[in-house]
Amino acid sequence: MTMNRRSFLATTAAATAATGTPMILRAQPKEYVLGASLPLTGPFATAGQLVAPAFAMAAKLFNDEGGIAGTPIRFVTEDSGYVPQNALNNYQRALASEGKNMIGYFADSTGAMKLIAPELKGENARIMGSTSFASELADPATHPYQYLSGPTYQSQFDILLQNIKNEGGQKVAFIFSNTEFGRDPIEHGRKTAEELGLEVVLEESTKAEGADIPTHVTKLAQSGADHCILQGYVTGVWPQLIGGARQFGLPVKFKGTFWGMEKLIADRITAEAGPFLEGYEGVMPYRYFYDREDAPRYQQYAELSKAMFAGTPLENYMSTWAIQTMCGLEIAMKAFRDTAEAGQELTADNIAETLANISDWDSGGFFGGPVSMENNAIGTGRVYGYNPEDGLFTPKSDWFTV
Amino acid sequence: MINANLKSSYAADERVLNNRYKQAFVYATILGLALFTLFGNDYLILIASQMGILLIAVVGINILTGYTGLVSLGHGAFVAIGAYAVTIFGNLGAGVIPAGLMPFISVPLAVALAAAVGVLVGLPSLRVKGLYLAVATLAANFIVIFLIEEDLFAPWTGGMVGINTNVPNLLGWELDTKREMFGLIAVVGLVSLLAAQNLIRTRIGRAFIAIRDRDYSAEILGISLLRYKLMSFALSAAYCGLAGALFAYFYARILPEQFELALSLNLVAALIIGGMGRTMGPVFGVIIVVMVPEVIKVLFGALAGDSAGAGQLRAPLQQIAFGVLLVLFLLKEPLGINQIVDRILRAANRWPFARG
Repeated sequence: MTMNRRSFLATTAAATAATGTPMILRAQPKEYVLGASLPLTGPFATAGQLVAPAFAMAAKLFNDEGGIAGTPIRFVTEDSGYVPQNALNNYQRALASEGKNMIGYFADSTGAMKLIAPELKGENARIMGSTSFASELADPATHPYQYLSGPTYQSQFDILLQNIKNEGGQKVAFIFSNTEFGRDPIEHGRKTAEELGLEVVLEESTKAEGADIPTHVTKLAQSGADHCILQGYVTGVWPQLIGGARQFGLPVKFKGTFWGMEKLIADRITAEAGPFLEGYEGVMPYRYFYDREDAPRYQQYAELSKAMFAGTPLENYMSTWAIQTMCGLEIAMKAFRDTAEAGQELTADNIAETLANISDWDSGGFFGGPVSMENNAIGTGRVYGYNPEDGLFTPKSDWFTV
Repeated sequence: MINANLKSSYAADERVLNNRYKQAFVYATILGLALFTLFGNDYLILIASQMGILLIAVVGINILTGYTGLVSLGHGAFVAIGAYAVTIFGNLGAGVIPAGLMPFISVPLAVALAAAVGVLVGLPSLRVKGLYLAVATLAANFIVIFLIEEDLFAPWTGGMVGINTNVPNLLGWELDTKREMFGLIAVVGLVSLLAAQNLIRTRIGRAFIAIRDRDYSAEILGISLLRYKLMSFALSAAYCGLAGALFAYFYARILPEQFELALSLNLVAALIIGGMGRTMGPVFGVIIVVMVPEVIKVLFGALAGDSAGAGQLRAPLQQIAFGVLLVLFLLKEPLGINQIVDRILRAANRWPFARG
């Protein structure tokens, strides 16, 4: 007998049927699995180690609420070292080990999302959230199973530019890291600025680490910009740029996007180098954790944090990075639960459809009000400013929806 | 009972599988792989596929480093060339060449391109040796990745954001599951290994070994260093290009950062661990490099659970455990796992007499 594709598949299917039928036919699994890759080692280990406890908290919270229609959930988290290939391997391993029980995956970078995206087809499709706000991902036509738990970087630029316009700014500089992350919103930002009547006087690309600060600051000074948006940095470069500009005596107002808005980083910079982040502002999709009034979900987190992380710095403060992860998990859980409640099977297609149709969702305090998914992203945020004296980011604008 | 591999003719000694143990081993492997392809569980198929792809590349490095004695820290570049070339040729030829024939054209082209670049990268080997050559080849890795990421070539390579790859179609058979891909990888891997074994018994292979053992002596014996060193580079690059082509077929998307220095180092590490200059060295090396982290993960998972909290502690410990294990291997058996296996087999063969 010659082996063609059909006979190969038939043989394989027969073998699988002989060995694994009970697993496959089980309609309701004993538990649902959500996989995750986190940068527990490598350059972003700090972020990964801060985010990891959120999964323990999420597991307890969601299971105490009854899981998904009474079926408990379990998280399988693995280290990626912030290497997309490792995240892909983790995803494939989780898929191979957990099979249909795994209904969602959480990745830790834009690179991982893009690398895994084409794998999400047919039987291998799973709903996927991540730490990324990459604009390319917010497209249900090309990435039907992936979603963003906030606004894209392009939307964040729109919010910042609108804010600059409202403040009477005229000349804007964009300084960004020479990475995919850094370059993501630049072209779009240029167009938005033009529409708003703002002049983009400088587009300066820097290294993601160890940038030549004096050169970039000199160019910024020469450009005559009154506002400067920083994009594509996490812990480094952006504080040095602001510090350099302040030493130079530049009155430029600096603004950042989500990854440049973490209080822990701003506090550390202030403690090490003085209060030069005074006046630094940026866009944040979520409320900060200390802003818990009328935020029942945050209050629940706070109680759980006190109980679960007593004696650690996590007891009283949840980083914006962990909040982003929790928001991503909440969105996924809402989609899972709504799909299950509608009596549908938890397939990636059904979940993706439910997720794409989330509208007027009361998140319990993450955002300024009810939000809706549009193009698999939530286009809302507001501008916060940092005050080195009390170490808090406080609102500087109303909520924008873009 | 002491067994010897009696050969009564030169022809018997020159055969690729020159004793019945080797023949039996190959037949058993073929049978084992066939059964595994049909019945192996998804997780093992996935891991085995990753091993197969890595194996082909390490066999390539073995030809260069193990047999010819030339060190390279840039072979990740050839894997990249293979992966990108097969994707780009596939995209360019789509609609012109029938899909079912595409792999039969794009893979050889990708392998040939990798070999051609291999010759180019091998040129410094005529002047420099050892660590100096390692540094020279290192540049290849950086240059190739730099070019792939360049905006100029982005329409073809996808630049920094990578490019989606094509599903291989062998005469109408679309290999769109990991299991089907493993079937292909297993066949190509086995053929590659046997081809390498065959190479070493030929004039070319003996020339490589002569160069490794003492290059100027080899030249005095009439072996052209220019020709054979470059041939060694071309062959090893071709193997890596083939591994790259399978890599592109196995994964749905490729990114430049997958082929950076870490991959080149991984290839060399696998070879050193497995045993240089031995056919089975790459096999043992790849098993260790891929399986040990998996086993450590399973062990740590069993001990500490797979919750995020345990994962936080587990991740760094896993890396430390893997590092310590590698150092121990190198300290205790610098000739690689192949040597350990040889000793065990020799002892078994001579049992109950001296282990020797």
